[in-house]
Amino acid sequence: MLQETVTIIAYAFISLLVITIYGLTLNGLVMKIVARVHGRFGPPLWQPFIDIIKNNAKRTMIYHGTMFFLGPVFRIAGGIGTYLFIPAIHGSEVFANFSFSGDLLLVMYFFFFGQLGMALGAGESGHPYSAIAVSRGLAQMTAFEVPFALSVISLAIQYQTLSITGIVSAQQGGILHWTVFTNPLATVAALIALLGMNMHSPFDIVLAPQEIPIGPPTEFHSAYLGLLQTNRAIFNLAKLVLFMNLYFGGATNILILIIKTFSIYMLSVIVGVSFPRFRTEQSIRFFLGIPTILGILAVIFQKL
Amino acid sequence: MVEPIYLFIILPVAAFLMGSLHQHLNRWQVFIFFTVLLFSFYLPIPWLIHLLKGGSTAQVFTAGFLPPISINLQIGIEEAFLMTIINLLGIMGAFYLLHHFRGTVYGPILYLVFIMGLNGIIMTRDLFNLFVFMEITSISLYSLITLSGSSENLTAGFKYIIASGIASILFLIGTIYLYYLTGTLNIDVMIASGYKIVGPAGSIALIMLLSAIIVELKQFPVNGWALDIYTASDPGIAAIIAGGSSSAMFFAAYKLLPLWSPSLSSIIAGIGIMTYVLMNLMGLKQVKANRLLGYSSIAQIGLLVGLSALLLHSTPVTGLTTIWIILGGLLINHLLAKAGLFWISGLIKGESLSSWSVLRKYPSLLFIFACLLMALAGLPPFPGFWVKWNIAMQLAQHKQFLWLGFIMLGTLLEAVYFFRWFGLIMKSELTTGIRVRISSLLPIFTGTFLMFFISLTMMNLLSGFNFNMLLPILIATLIFALKLIPGKLKALMTIFIIMFYFYFLLPELSGLYRLFAIIFFPLSALFMIAAMNKPGYRNGYFELLILIVLSLGNLLTSHTSLQFFYSWEVITVATYLIILRGVKRFDTALLYLVFSLAGALMILAGFSYSYAVTGSTFLGILGSSNSQITIYILLVGGFLIKTGAVGVHIWLPGAYAETEDDFSPIISAILSKTGILGLLLVLLLMGKSFAANTELNTILGWIGVLTAFLGALFAIFQEDLKYMLAYSSMGQVGYIVLALALYSHLGWTAALYLAFNHIFFKGILFLAAAGIIQRLGTRKMYEMGGLINRMPLSFLAVLISIIALSGVPPLSGFGSKWLLYNALLEKEWYLQAALAFFASTVAFLYCFRLIHSIFLGQEKTRFRQVKEASLWFLIPQYVLIALIMLISLFPNIIIEPIAQVMADFIPATLSWEGNTLMSSLGYWNGNVIMIITMGVFMIPLIGLLLRVRSMQKVKQFNIVYAAERPDKPETTHVAHNFFPHYQKALGFLVTPLVSKFWAAVSEWCHTIAGVLRNIYTGNGQTYALHIVFMVVLIYILAGV
Repeated sequence: MLQETVTIIAYAFISLLVITIYGLTLNGLVMKIVARVHGRFGPPLWQPFIDIIKNNAKRTMIYHGTMFFLGPVFRIAGGIGTYLFIPAIHGSEVFANFSFSGDLLLVMYFFFFGQLGMALGAGESGHPYSAIAVSRGLAQMTAFEVPFALSVISLAIQYQTLSITGIVSAQQGGILHWTVFTNPLATVAALIALLGMNMHSPFDIVLAPQEIPIGPPTEFHSAYLGLLQTNRAIFNLAKLVLFMNLYFGGATNILILIIKTFSIYMLSVIVGVSFPRFRTEQSIRFFLGIPTILGILAVIFQKL
Repeated sequence: MVEPIYLFIILPVAAFLMGSLHQHLNRWQVFIFFTVLLFSFYLPIPWLIHLLKGGSTAQVFTAGFLPPISINLQIGIEEAFLMTIINLLGIMGAFYLLHHFRGTVYGPILYLVFIMGLNGIIMTRDLFNLFVFMEITSISLYSLITLSGSSENLTAGFKYIIASGIASILFLIGTIYLYYLTGTLNIDVMIASGYKIVGPAGSIALIMLLSAIIVELKQFPVNGWALDIYTASDPGIAAIIAGGSSSAMFFAAYKLLPLWSPSLSSIIAGIGIMTYVLMNLMGLKQVKANRLLGYSSIAQIGLLVGLSALLLHSTPVTGLTTIWIILGGLLINHLLAKAGLFWISGLIKGESLSSWSVLRKYPSLLFIFACLLMALAGLPPFPGFWVKWNIAMQLAQHKQFLWLGFIMLGTLLEAVYFFRWFGLIMKSELTTGIRVRISSLLPIFTGTFLMFFISLTMMNLLSGFNFNMLLPILIATLIFALKLIPGKLKALMTIFIIMFYFYFLLPELSGLYRLFAIIFFPLSALFMIAAMNKPGYRNGYFELLILIVLSLGNLLTSHTSLQFFYSWEVITVATYLIILRGVKRFDTALLYLVFSLAGALMILAGFSYSYAVTGSTFLGILGSSNSQITIYILLVGGFLIKTGAVGVHIWLPGAYAETEDDFSPIISAILSKTGILGLLLVLLLMGKSFAANTELNTILGWIGVLTAFLGALFAIFQEDLKYMLAYSSMGQVGYIVLALALYSHLGWTAALYLAFNHIFFKGILFLAAAGIIQRLGTRKMYEMGGLINRMPLSFLAVLISIIALSGVPPLSGFGSKWLLYNALLEKEWYLQAALAFFASTVAFLYCFRLIHSIFLGQEKTRFRQVKEASLWFLIPQYVLIALIMLISLFPNIIIEPIAQVMADFIPATLSWEGNTLMSSLGYWNGNVIMIITMGVFMIPLIGLLLRVRSMQKVKQFNIVYAAERPDKPETTHVAHNFFPHYQKALGFLVTPLVSKFWAAVSEWCHTIAGVLRNIYTGNGQTYALHIVFMVVLIYILAGV
């Protein structure tokens, strides 16, 4: 029992380490790509690593209160937790993580854990922009969760399970078994929701550079910011891995995982560099419009 | 036994003596007056006892001849009963009028003649003699009314003479025709030879007679004169008219009932019940107390007339049957209550309804007043309640559902204006005009006491004596009597009593009922700890709490629908009173009461329909196969009102938010579960074959999920802390309704888990709100801010509870969401699941707004010195937190028992693998999730703690703010209108359409009432014209 537990925890650490390194690299790569699209040279690929090391090397001497202090901890705990409840590589013991403790519903609700904690921390900083950004972020979140939830329901009908492992195994045996081909409506609805989740333009209303610089993390510096930046890599990957599992057949090894998650992420990047920012209410209306209808259709078609 | 004929000797002789010898009698006059009245009261009593023991009805023949030559009197059980109560009222009324009669010799004389006339009307079996007695009462009454000689009295009396004159003419012509046709004046012979009353002459005769009776009974629309009398005459006289002469006339009408043809009989029923509804409708517009009472009196007599025509005409009944108890109970309820109200009105100097607020200074009078109102509104524990119940049952059995509907409408309208009046008294400015005399108080108190006694008798007769049903009221009254005990001690006593009751109740209950008992008793006792915080006596608060909670226990032990309904109504009224105690404006409480009573009436209708089909009130079966849809709709509709489902939710926010801060947790967390209990019982008792398969469940489910969604949406736009929590409650209970509607094992398990979880977190939230509001003195969230430093314990409590509310793992809320979605998906309710998910994300918005606006952001200067909330608020909160933590860490300790209970009804689809809960779709291990979450939280936390050294907390406004330096917390704290974008995007969904709809309903009711009452112009000629119109109308309707 004890040995088992220790093994599982050790595997989780390995899995987490791999995903963190990959996530940070991916962020560096995307920064580079975006810069090239903008016609800039862009930072080096390893810039996120440098940032984290730099931020962690700085003195961290001030805080706004207990919740402020705990905010980044909540955030990264949310990111790590979300990732660890998802089986990252199908059939791999090392990358199965803690997926035995709960199903897809757990992951969907654990998304909110970090957001809520971070929102509280940002709230205690007393910075008006933080509160405004949280208000925007939560509002947009409620909207994009609707098509995503509908899409997940459609999957639950299709596969008759809420277990992520179950959904991935059902998609094995060829590219045409992937959800993207068997249930395109659900996939499209979910991918649009993913645009919102990734908060690239036009849905970058939370961080909103030049508008409410830079939203919730405004007051967070040095070690706090380091935690937040680390989380950005992990949480981002957690979402991508989830989408890969749900819609693109999952991954049987780390290489496929990298290729698939990178490809899925490119969608957000491409849309992000092409469109300007929505206002909050526009974003809400957008998600409750066509994506929601697609989601409803996905549910109805599955039910028929 | 004294021969009743002596009544007609002694009373006139006494009157004659008092008139002719008044100069010599002096004080003896009063003595004679009361002796004679006492005699008249005594006379029927031995008869009543004799008849109740099975003695036979006695006939008295005057002058030694048999009918048709002689006039005969009859004293049967009905006569004896009615004479007893009318003569009792006569004594009490005389006592009350003593002051009024002072200095005049005519008053007592006329009064005696009047009483004699009433007895005559009751006893005579001769049509012409009946006419004579009616004339005697009319003339004496006219004289009594005009005794004081004011012009108002004179005109009212004159109108009375006009109306009763026309009625007399009609009566007399009708009598002549009938005599011509049947050759007799004896009513019994006439009825027996009813076959002779044919042809145009017969019809005309009956129509004329009927019209006269209707005028005398003051039915709509020929009652303008009566309203003026009630308004103008002395309240003591009005009392005797409302109680005495109306009852006697009703009895006269009852005697003639077998004479009418079926079509005339249904006209009477129609007129009676329409009078009941319309008079109560017009009562809405009244602002003068006496006139309002007049409207109500006429309405009650209308109900009596209508019911007697409906219930008695088709099936002749004799002896002490249920129908008789209904009519007798209704009569006595009306007689005592209305007389009592008129008597109280005599004490109050002002005319307007609000001038009665002076009663607040006399708690015992106020108590009596409330009792009388409740009796008239048909609420327990008064005779009116038993009457209302049995009316519904009897009418349903006779398949008179349309009439039942009208009667319920009338009841509701009556309750509206009565309780609006009560609210007005409690909440409007205190007036001073009152004159209290012992002689006036005595009849009032006696009457109310009698009513309790009669209610007990009726309970005994109709449903069997049940001590448990009375126990809550008895205990509450007992505590109420211990006035001078300090509030804190009373709070302790209340908690002790509730737990004691629970201790005895628990072994009697099993399964589902046991779970609800845990909700109702220990948890509400826990919430009551908060009451220890308030100083003062708080009279009434704890008594009502005991009444509510113990009645909740009675709900659980109910075996019949009557017992259930009784406790249900007690809870409704007690909750209304407790809300009224706390609110600033009475309409908040009124709204609660009106919706609750409407719901209760729907429940009553459902039970009565079931009774009509099954013939039983036993709570084990509801309806049969062909009636279930109606019963389901009625009962579920009624219980949905209690849960505050969308469409009928408008009472909820005000009631939850405006009530006292330490009652809000109880009403929103505990009492909202009574509706859930009701719904669950309906689904269980309807029978599986129907309830599990009906499409109506789908509608119920949609109502539930829409309530959840709209409740959450309303909540996010609230600036007022308690309103936000109230709307949140509405939404959360919506989820429970949704889960119940699933009718699956998983769904019901989810429902009860949701219910427990809701109690825990909403209890904390409302208690925390109470603590904050007490310290800050405001409920507006944007006026708060940064309180985390001042109230860290409250902050932690709110934090835990919003996590439990929003469903974020690892706390208990996730369990409820997991169960709910699994249940929804299992049942293939996909779109409902999506909307529920949307609702649960919207809940995040108000959760964050709540905690941010109050505890985070910028601290306000004026709240710098605020202290942590009172310990009495924190203790229950932390017990609840412990409970949340416990069920989060070990979900099985709550899910397992619930699932087991539910498995008794529906086969289980949940299974356990160690600590992992498995449904057909997914799995969830709360225990492991908690440990993992702790782990992933602790590791970065420890890392961060190791990184930092010599931390320093920065001062307020030390923020990076674009080179500006904010200095006002008011302009820096983002809290007001926190979700403007949401308002822009989805604000159209929270347009208060429902409120507008109900406001329009209310407006229309008042407008129609206003238009209708225009027919009462106050002009005697118009009133005469009404009578003519009515005769013509009856002629047309009778179809001759």
